[in-house]
Amino acid sequence: MIETFRQVFEQSVARLSAQATQFLPPLFVAVVVFGLAWIVALLLRWLLLHAFKGERFDAFLRKTGISGMLDHSGRLRASPLLAHGIYYGILLVGLLNAISVFETEITREIVGGVVHLLPKLFAAAAIILAGVWLAQYLGRAALLWASNEGFSWARRFCAFVRVVVVFVSIVVAADVLNFARTVFFSAFLVFSIGAVFAACLVLALNHRDVYRWFAGARQNGGEAEGERSLWHHL
Amino acid sequence: MAQDILSPEARQAAEKLGRADIVIGIPSYNNGRTIGHVVRAAQAGLNKYFPEFHGVIINSDGGSKDDTRKQVLEAQLDPSQLLLVNTPLNPVHRLSFPYHGIPGKGSAFRMIFQMARELGARACAVVDSDLRSITPEWFDLLLRPVLHRGYDFVAPYYHRHKYDGTITNSIIYPLTRALYGHRIRQPIGGDFGMSLPVVETYLKRTDWETDVARYGIDIWMTTIAVASGFRVCQSFLGAKLHDAKDPGADLSAMLQQVVGSVFSLMIEFKHVWMHVQGSRDVELFGFRYDVGLEPIDVNLDRMIQAFLRGESDLREIWSMALTDRTLRDLAALARAARTAPAAQFRIPDELWVRALLEFASAYAELPSARSHLVRSLTPLYLGRVASFVNETRDMNASEVENRIEQLSLEFERLKPFLVERWGGPRVDEYSPQSAPASGRIQEVSS
Repeated sequence: MIETFRQVFEQSVARLSAQATQFLPPLFVAVVVFGLAWIVALLLRWLLLHAFKGERFDAFLRKTGISGMLDHSGRLRASPLLAHGIYYGILLVGLLNAISVFETEITREIVGGVVHLLPKLFAAAAIILAGVWLAQYLGRAALLWASNEGFSWARRFCAFVRVVVVFVSIVVAADVLNFARTVFFSAFLVFSIGAVFAACLVLALNHRDVYRWFAGARQNGGEAEGERSLWHHL
Repeated sequence: MAQDILSPEARQAAEKLGRADIVIGIPSYNNGRTIGHVVRAAQAGLNKYFPEFHGVIINSDGGSKDDTRKQVLEAQLDPSQLLLVNTPLNPVHRLSFPYHGIPGKGSAFRMIFQMARELGARACAVVDSDLRSITPEWFDLLLRPVLHRGYDFVAPYYHRHKYDGTITNSIIYPLTRALYGHRIRQPIGGDFGMSLPVVETYLKRTDWETDVARYGIDIWMTTIAVASGFRVCQSFLGAKLHDAKDPGADLSAMLQQVVGSVFSLMIEFKHVWMHVQGSRDVELFGFRYDVGLEPIDVNLDRMIQAFLRGESDLREIWSMALTDRTLRDLAALARAARTAPAAQFRIPDELWVRALLEFASAYAELPSARSHLVRSLTPLYLGRVASFVNETRDMNASEVENRIEQLSLEFERLKPFLVERWGGPRVDEYSPQSAPASGRIQEVSS
């Protein structure tokens, strides 16, 4: 009994030590690789934060409105943005290198998957960013038009435009990532058809009110023009 | 090299005429009802005041659906009714061509200026085609300072109803005056005289296909003439009465074109206006007299409602341009206006000027939001007009003019803060007590 227990124990220890001798060196190398990457990332981040001014990039972010969009205080600066971007980029590269040291099937799949997905992730992020920027721009245009026309639902209209544009950009990004394609596309179709159907329903049920409102608006517009010609502003 | 936009028809006419001393340009679009009168006035003006010169009247038409061009070509004048002292030595030619490009007054002017250059005209005048109050004397007053006094640019000076020209009175005149130091009372009057060098300066520019093509043309012409150092004067033309019919534009678009042009030119001529302090009078020709003016009705409630709607809806866009303090002040005004009677509504000069200058700075800083920024000014502008109507309700013309003078001085007083935001020397925090009692500064430093 004791002999059996001793044998089992010895075998386990032998197996563990064999595994340890097999995996400990790569693990050590992986930790060293990741540690080095982390140190390089820290150094580069510090350097960029202190040495890189990025005034032109700051101006670009400000002029295009991206700065205000990502950070409502409008204090987004190129130097921290770039420094953090590079920091996390180097960490990711370090992590992938560290994982690849093990040379197992699963680590190869992970590294391959990330490398394959990364460009698509960047593309999707760019699409979302552009979509949010466009949503903001078109939303503001819609808000201005509706408000200057005197509509009481100007802000709701603006929000609707923004939601639609952001939703469309999410659908496109999901398509690029090949992620829940059908779900998003179906949702998009349901959303679009629903919006058209709701508009038709509102018109059909309230056609008399809508006509009265439209006629009233035209009449008011005519009165406004008559009472004070546009020339009188100039 | 300026782009050539003359049609073969216009070029052929220019070659046939060879040369002209004076070109009178009339832009038009569906003005068949009034343009005949303007052409006859121009013809009479040339016959009566410039009989020794070769004169050409050019109508630049934007594709009118009515008989505008026919009216121009058939406008007849009976010389015996003019009681001319000198018989005209040269016939006055009348030409009418459609212009090409973006539909608008600016595109029409571009064709007229090209014709003036082709014909080597010594002086050129442009007048609106829907004027009912135009007389032959207008052409004498717009052209003589150029031909006989060595001026390069003649701006109009009219008597207008106190509620007329509200963009001019509340934005364009005081802002242009504070920026460039010239007190040109009607910088967007629409009727101007100019010399050939000014015309050539306009034609050399590359921004014709912007807001300049539309309503922005008037302030563009005036600003370039002033900022480029041309000799500028004004001529008193009496009253300006327009045809009631408007071109198809809305107030917001018009404001965007006019104010957008001013702000764009501020960026271009930053090196000029940053060094100008105070303002000086600009020589005024013509015999000044009082005229009867058509009353103008305004709907105060509608304007205040537009302001209140804008204040609640457009805060997001205003916050891109306005400082927290200005936003707070406007919000406080709106809160008070929601409960107080319309007749008590006021936007103080200091707040209005501060807001406008902040918009001008944001326009330069945020190119991607320019159109939104200027369009969002509409409710604020309507609020200011409502305030002006309330303030001047019982005032006569001279009192109203004093009120506009006060506003102009406020623009001049706050200009250092604009200069600071555009990279000039730092100014201490504004405090109302530090305002000069009547700071009518006469000098222009550069």
